[in-house]
Amino acid sequence: ADRHREKPGKAVLGSGFVGRPRAPERCLFRGQVSVLYFARSAELAGLRCETLSVPREITSLQLWEEIVKVHPRLAVIRDQVIFAVRQEYVLLGDQLLVLQPGDEVAIIPPISGG
Amino acid sequence: MEESEDVPKDFVKLKCEKLSVDEVSELVVSPYCGAVSLFIGTTRNNFEGKKVIHLEYEAYTSMAETEIKKICRNVRQKWPSVKHIAVHHRLGVVPITEASVIIAVSSPHRAESLEAVMYCINTLKASVPIWKKEIYEDEYSWKENKECFWANSEK
Repeated sequence: ADRHREKPGKAVLGSGFVGRPRAPERCLFRGQVSVLYFARSAELAGLRCETLSVPREITSLQLWEEIVKVHPRLAVIRDQVIFAVRQEYVLLGDQLLVLQPGDEVAIIPPISGG
Repeated sequence: MEESEDVPKDFVKLKCEKLSVDEVSELVVSPYCGAVSLFIGTTRNNFEGKKVIHLEYEAYTSMAETEIKKICRNVRQKWPSVKHIAVHHRLGVVPITEASVIIAVSSPHRAESLEAVMYCINTLKASVPIWKKEIYEDEYSWKENKECFWANSEK
């Protein structure tokens, strides 16, 4: 099968925001991001790429938890993965992410190039 | 006879086909350089007593290319005399003894290209989103570079 071949992550463009104000002082928007899975995380999730709707402002740990809700089998690798958000590495933790529609978020298990 | 300016270039390629040492060396050769240094990473046939059938590589291709280009920029900051840099990494199945990665650097004198090649492979192993799966007879294993700071290394 072709599962070794890297499929270029395609950003979902033009989906825009779905905005639903929850409180007068603060609007919480969700946006559609492309989530890419690699190596062990792709095996556990059972896919390489999908579009998910996530809060626009979210910590990296909260983002992980959103993804694990969709793919519970990913929980076992929580301590070994980081993210790449717009192709910059981000640790799972308190770092606040501001996501735009179509952003690429990749699950990055421990690397082994070379 | 006018020589071309021989502007420093980075050659970064991720490909599924067999890598060629000749091709990668020729990319970096320059009339201004007295040294071409090379690193070739090849597939070993064993790991901890288990027989390795072959390796399989996958990559976050767009980010891997970007990260390798960052490594090239860092090389040029650290070793300004480096002329050309080539990094070719194979993806997909890599049979035993074949090359998974070839790095070539040219410089006027040998010290810089030798050091730059070592820096390239060490930093690649620490920062480029490429993954290797070792296939044994009855099982397989996703490898983790010790250079990877987010790996849960038990070794």
